[in-house]
Amino acid sequence: MKAALLRWSAWAPGIESLAAWEAWAKAPAALPAAGQPDAKFLPAMLRRRCTPLTRTMLTAAFGAAEPAELARLRTVFASRHGSINESIGLLENVVRREKLSPATFSHTVHNAQAGLFSIAAGNRAASSSLAGQEDSWTAAWLEALCFLERDPREPVLVVIGDVPLAETFAPLVTEAAVPYSFAAQVGAAGTGPGVELELGLLDSPRPAPPWPPALEFLRWWLSADESLEQTNRANLVRWRKC
Amino acid sequence: MSRKPCRLAALGHVSALGRVRGEVWERLVAGDSSRLTLDSERVPERSIWVGEVRESLPEIPAALARFACRNNQLALAALEPIAAEVTAAVARFGPARVGVVLGTSTSGVGDAEAAVAHREKTGVLAREFHYDQLEFGGLARFVAEAIGARGPAYTLSTACSSGARALASARSLVAMGVCDAVVSGAADSLCGLTTNGFAALGAISAGVTNPWSVNRDGLTLGEASALFLVTGEPGGIQLLGVGDSSEAHHMSAPDPEGRGAETAMRGALEDAGLAPEQIAYLNLHGTGTPQNDAMESAAVERVLGTELPCSSTKPLVGHTLGAAGAIEAAFCWLVLAERAGGALSVPPHVWDGARDPALAMIHLAAKGERATYSSAAYVMTNSFGFGGNNCTLILGASDSP
Repeated sequence: MKAALLRWSAWAPGIESLAAWEAWAKAPAALPAAGQPDAKFLPAMLRRRCTPLTRTMLTAAFGAAEPAELARLRTVFASRHGSINESIGLLENVVRREKLSPATFSHTVHNAQAGLFSIAAGNRAASSSLAGQEDSWTAAWLEALCFLERDPREPVLVVIGDVPLAETFAPLVTEAAVPYSFAAQVGAAGTGPGVELELGLLDSPRPAPPWPPALEFLRWWLSADESLEQTNRANLVRWRKC
Repeated sequence: MSRKPCRLAALGHVSALGRVRGEVWERLVAGDSSRLTLDSERVPERSIWVGEVRESLPEIPAALARFACRNNQLALAALEPIAAEVTAAVARFGPARVGVVLGTSTSGVGDAEAAVAHREKTGVLAREFHYDQLEFGGLARFVAEAIGARGPAYTLSTACSSGARALASARSLVAMGVCDAVVSGAADSLCGLTTNGFAALGAISAGVTNPWSVNRDGLTLGEASALFLVTGEPGGIQLLGVGDSSEAHHMSAPDPEGRGAETAMRGALEDAGLAPEQIAYLNLHGTGTPQNDAMESAAVERVLGTELPCSSTKPLVGHTLGAAGAIEAAFCWLVLAERAGGALSVPPHVWDGARDPALAMIHLAAKGERATYSSAAYVMTNSFGFGGNNCTLILGASDSP
């Protein structure tokens, strides 16, 4: 499947500009384990209601498109854990038979980031929110291709991000637990620099780099390498510049 | 029509109406709301009506024990009736060509309550608790491993539109040639988080949900799973149209004018290449909240007029949240599959009959009502999600071979 990667933006603590990401990609190192963006572009009222994940994902989203595009493009929001950290607090309320905060509950749905983005950007276009375990980035890319299959005329804004799991569940998961976000406009093949995705069967597990798969993709995209191989529980995922 | 075929080739489902197709169909057209139960356990100091699945559910196989949770058991119950067709598809196309795209809003969070309770008492999580059972992506991976599929497997979670959106993506994955078949639909389970969350929002009705009534005061929650085998074959029951939009309005309330709902319905008609008068039945989102019914009736009147038979099936099974779009598509599938003599038996709108005069006068289907069609039947289903995510589907079936 071929598509085009147009404008992009990414955020991790201390790595916020395109130049900083290019420098990181040349000499990739483990990323800071804590931090969150100030998200000053959001109105103060809205910003106060944002969880750290929402601030993180919206920072990349707003960096990857002009205001008119932010209000118009279809969106895909991907996160492995979503708002699970906030859900843990609500689960403790449930277990203790305490009343839940309606505002907290509203902001723990998996599409909370998409919903708040839609409100902040005034965007009424189609939107999807998803999770694909360790490989949520490939899932997000496929979901963008689904939107392009329905209508290839406009690119899709793909936004992925996570924040480290709180200590209740963190020991259950082996992953590069860092706060980050990455957003990219994915367009139909031929509308910009090309990316081809191919899914194969995974023969045996391979070691993953110590940063999230979406940032490994970005590192590769900024490198001179022609192709990249990543894995999930079933597939060998091959990316190729075309 | 320019779109490639998208066949909803097989369907399995479980909800408060049951697991057995014949029984579910009889209860659906009879408008049997007796399956809902009054629950006094889930929300402190109040009883709420719920659409709980009371049948016993299949056990998670030992090899997949890390996925063990009620949500995945519901998915397994929906998978059982179509296991033969799904197995045949995996054998025919090869595991890498079969994908899984499912919706949920809960995943295994209900079972995580027990883990958190255990941690409160002992300081550690129960040893058998695995993150695969809790994370949203676990649902699609569980079904993929259960059926031996090794194509793309991911879970969509756009609140109440998740199940409808999953079917939309399954159709595109097949149309693009990424997959030859996709198991798609949704599973959502009753749990303390959603019952207490919606109670905190003041959204749960005192009695059974009563959509379109002047007495309506909220929704009744439920649980369900519906799984379809989606292929690119022509014939049978087809997924013909998808329309979707965002609200850009409020996290937990729709735009009062129903603009997002209107965009979704018009988009689905355009996608299917159909005129409004060709739709024979509409399954409403119909949650029974004051806001939903007001905006949805206005949008339906603008797009489809006031003569089309409409009903909400939520008074029969509850609002099954992430599964609503899939179970309601399943009810539409049954309506088409049971068509006879140029007419559809449509599920009645079950309520107290005290119409809210402030709502647009759309036609709410009565018990025993039949909708006629000529040569091909088309039905529409609406799903409007929390967080402002809307998705409308159109299913169709032709009598000519």
